[in-house]
Amino acid sequence: MDFFQAQDSARRNTRSLVFFFAMAVLSLIVITNVLVMVLFGFLRTGEQGLTLGVIAAQFDWEVFFLIGAAVSFVILAGSVYKTIALSAGGPAVAESLGGRLISQSTTDLHERKALNVVEEMAIASGTPVPPVYLLDNEPGINAFAAGFTPGDAVVGLTRGTIAYLSRDELQGVVAHEFSHILHGDMRLNMRLIGVLHGILLIGLIGYFILRSVRGGSNRNAGPILGLGMGLLVIGYAGTFFGNLIKASVSRQREFLADASAVQFTRNNEGIAGALKKIGGYAAGSVLETAEAPTMSHAYFSTGVSSFLQSVFATHPPLDKRIRRIDPRWDGFYVPVTQEVDDSAQAETSGADEPAARAMHTASGVIIASEILDRIGKTGPAQLDYAARLVKEISPLVREAVHDPYGARAVIYCLIIDGQHREVRDAQLQRLQSLGDSGIRELVDKMQAAVKSLDVSYRLPLIDMAMPAMRQLSRPQYQLFRKNLLFLMQADKRIDLFEWSLQKILFHHLDAHFGRPGKRVAKYSSIERLRMHVAALLSVLVHACVKDGTEVQSALESAEQDLGLSGLTLLPREEISLQTLDAAVDHLALLKPLLKPRVLKACLTVITRDREYSPNEMELMRAIGNVLDCPVPPYAG
Amino acid sequence: MDISTMVFLAVVVALAFYVIGIFNRLVALKNRFQNAFAQIEVQLKRRHDLIPNLVETAKGYLKHERETLESVIAARNAAASSLAAAAADPGNAAAMQSLGGAEGALSGALGRLNVVMEAYPDLKANQNMMQVSEELISTENKVGFARQSFNDQVMAYNTYKQSFPQNMLAGAFGHGPDASLLEFEDSAQIQAVPKVSF
Repeated sequence: MDFFQAQDSARRNTRSLVFFFAMAVLSLIVITNVLVMVLFGFLRTGEQGLTLGVIAAQFDWEVFFLIGAAVSFVILAGSVYKTIALSAGGPAVAESLGGRLISQSTTDLHERKALNVVEEMAIASGTPVPPVYLLDNEPGINAFAAGFTPGDAVVGLTRGTIAYLSRDELQGVVAHEFSHILHGDMRLNMRLIGVLHGILLIGLIGYFILRSVRGGSNRNAGPILGLGMGLLVIGYAGTFFGNLIKASVSRQREFLADASAVQFTRNNEGIAGALKKIGGYAAGSVLETAEAPTMSHAYFSTGVSSFLQSVFATHPPLDKRIRRIDPRWDGFYVPVTQEVDDSAQAETSGADEPAARAMHTASGVIIASEILDRIGKTGPAQLDYAARLVKEISPLVREAVHDPYGARAVIYCLIIDGQHREVRDAQLQRLQSLGDSGIRELVDKMQAAVKSLDVSYRLPLIDMAMPAMRQLSRPQYQLFRKNLLFLMQADKRIDLFEWSLQKILFHHLDAHFGRPGKRVAKYSSIERLRMHVAALLSVLVHACVKDGTEVQSALESAEQDLGLSGLTLLPREEISLQTLDAAVDHLALLKPLLKPRVLKACLTVITRDREYSPNEMELMRAIGNVLDCPVPPYAG
Repeated sequence: MDISTMVFLAVVVALAFYVIGIFNRLVALKNRFQNAFAQIEVQLKRRHDLIPNLVETAKGYLKHERETLESVIAARNAAASSLAAAAADPGNAAAMQSLGGAEGALSGALGRLNVVMEAYPDLKANQNMMQVSEELISTENKVGFARQSFNDQVMAYNTYKQSFPQNMLAGAFGHGPDASLLEFEDSAQIQAVPKVSF
C-alpha cells in the first residue's frame, strides 16, 4: 500500500466508522427506551406489579422518538464539541495526557536522545520535525502520535520510554509512530476520539446525576437514582461499542506500523527489543493518567489493561507482534531493571565521517516514478543520511536552529541575498531597525556558516527549526512574518526556492498561530482547480524548462498526467506571490488519490530537460511538503 | 416534552459547552505561558553555569579583588535558588519578583566586575575569558527574547482571564490571581545592549 492509498483508506475507514457509530447510537436509543419503560412501569405499579407485560405496555412511539432525539442530541453534541476541541491539534491531545513539551535546548541526556531520534526520523522522511512531549509521570514504556497532518503532528513519549530503551529501540518506537503519522492514522485517531466522546458523555451524565442525588436528601430520589444508574450502565454499554469500534480499526494498523518501522530502520532488533522490554518490565506499557482510555488506540502498545483482552484489545498481543518482527524469538522477555546510560552515546558529538553526498544529477525519466513511489516512506539509507546531515551542520548553526532566538536568525540567513550588495544592505538594515535586539549581530555571525551549506541542507534546516519556531509568542511570530516577507521582496523578484521555503514555514506556522487553515480534503476533481494547477505549472515551466521550444510539449505531457486538456500557461509577469500561494493552498486540499497526479505533472515539467539537479530535487521536496506529501531526501 | 422544554434544554447544553470551552482555554493558555517559562529557565541556567567559569578564569588575574568575585558568586547562587523557586510556580507574583530582583543583583555584580577588569588588559585578552563573555552576551540576548515571549503569553492569559464572562468563572476553575510578568530590575539596560562586555 503506498502513501496515497494509505491516506485514502484512512479516510475511508472514517466512513465505516460513521456506520459503526450510527449502529451504536441506535442501540443506545433502544436501551435507553427500555430503561425508561422499566422506570415508568415501576412508577405506575410499584415493585410487586412489575411484569414484562406492564413494561411492554409502556411503549409509546412518541416517547421513543423523543428519547431518540434526546440521546442523539447528547451524543452528537458531545462528539461535535470534542472534535472542535481537538481541532487545536496534536499539542492539545498531548497536554491533556499530562505531556510536557521537551525544550529543544535541554541538557538531560535521555531527552536529548529522544529529540535527536525524532529529528533524524523527520528529516529522513521529509516532514517538519514534530514537537516532542514527555509524559513525566508515566513510568510505563509507551508512546503516541497525534495531530491531523504531518505538519501539525506531535510525538509523545513516556518517561519510561526514554529512560529504559536504548537508542536503537527508541528509534524503532519512533519509526512506528512515524508510520502512524505518514499513513494518516492520526487523523483517524483524532476522529475516533471525537466520536467516542459523545457516547461516553451519556455515562458521564449518569455519573453526575448519581453524585448530585447522593448529596441531597430528596424523598423522591428513588426514580432519579434509577435514572442515573441506568444512564451509567448505558454509558458503559456505549464504551463497549466504542471499544469494539476502536479495536476493529486499530489492530490492523498496529501490525502495519510495526512492519513499517522495520522497513524504515531496516533493523528489526530495535522495535522487537522495545516490545520485549515492555513484556519484561513490571510497569509494562500501562498509562496512569485518567485520560488514558480516550487515546488507547493511538499508543505504541496497549495503554489500558482490560479484562476481555482479545476482543477489546486495541493492540495485538505482544508475543504475536514480536514473532511477526522476529520469528526466531526464544519467548523470553527482557527484564528491565535500570535506566540505560546515554552518556556513552555522546549525543552531540561532531561528524565522524563526512557524508558522501549523493547529490549528483540523476536522469529525470527513470527517477520520476521512483520518487512518487517513495513519498511517505523512508529507509535506512535516508536515516543514515539524515543523521550525517545533522552532524555536518556546523555546531553554531545546529544549536541556533534549536532555540527560538536563533531559529529566526537561521531562516533570515537563508533568505538574505548573498550576491547583490545593495539588496543585502537593505535587508540587514531592516533587521537592524525592526528586528529584535541582537538579531542583526547574530545574523552577521552565522551568515557565512549558513551560506556555505549546500542546497540540500536548506529544507532540513527549515524542518529542524519548526519546533523552536512554534515557541515564539504571537507578537514575535507576527514580527518575524513581516520581516521575512520584506526580506524576500527586497530584490523585487520571487526566487522559486525562496518562495517555497517561506511557503513551508507559513503553511505550518500560520495554522499554529491561530490562522487555522482548512484540513479537510474537499476537492474531488482536479478540473475544478485548473486555474491553480496552471499557475503552479507555469512557474515550474518558467523556472525549469530552459529550451523555449520544449514548453509546449512539457505542458502537454503534464496535461496527460493530470488528465486535463487545454491548460494555458500564465505569462511570467502575471504570476504574483498571492496567485502562487492560493494555488498551492488549494491543491493541498485535494483528495489524497488525486495528489500523485499533480506531483507527477510537476515532476514531468521539472525533469523535462532530462536532468534532475539538486536544486530541482529540493524544489520538488518543498512542493511535496506544502501538499502534505512528504518526499524523503534523495540518498543515492 | 414540549418545544419550550427542548429549547430550554438545548440552551442549557449550549451553555455547558461554552463554560467547558472557557475552562479548556484557560488551561491551554496557562500551559502555554508555563512552557514559555521553561525557555527562560534553560537560558538562565546556562547563564548561571557560565559564571563559575568566568570567576575561575578571572581569579588568577584578580588576586586583590576577592570581594568583588565573591559578591558575583553570592549573587549567582541567590539567583540560582530564586530560579528554582520560580520554575516550580511560574507566574507567581512573589516568585517572579524575587527572580527579577536576584537576576538584577547578578547583573549589577557582573557590572562591577567589569569595571574592575577594565584595569587588567591581560585578563581581557585571555582567550578563555573572551569565549565566556561572548557566550554570556548571546545568553543575555536569548534571555531577553524568551522573557518577551513569556510576558506575551502571560498577557494573553491575563487578558483572557479578566474579560467577561471568564472573570466570573476563572476563580471557580482554580485560576487565582493574575500571573505576574517577569521584569528585571535593570530591564532597560538588558533590553538595550547587553552590558557584559569585557
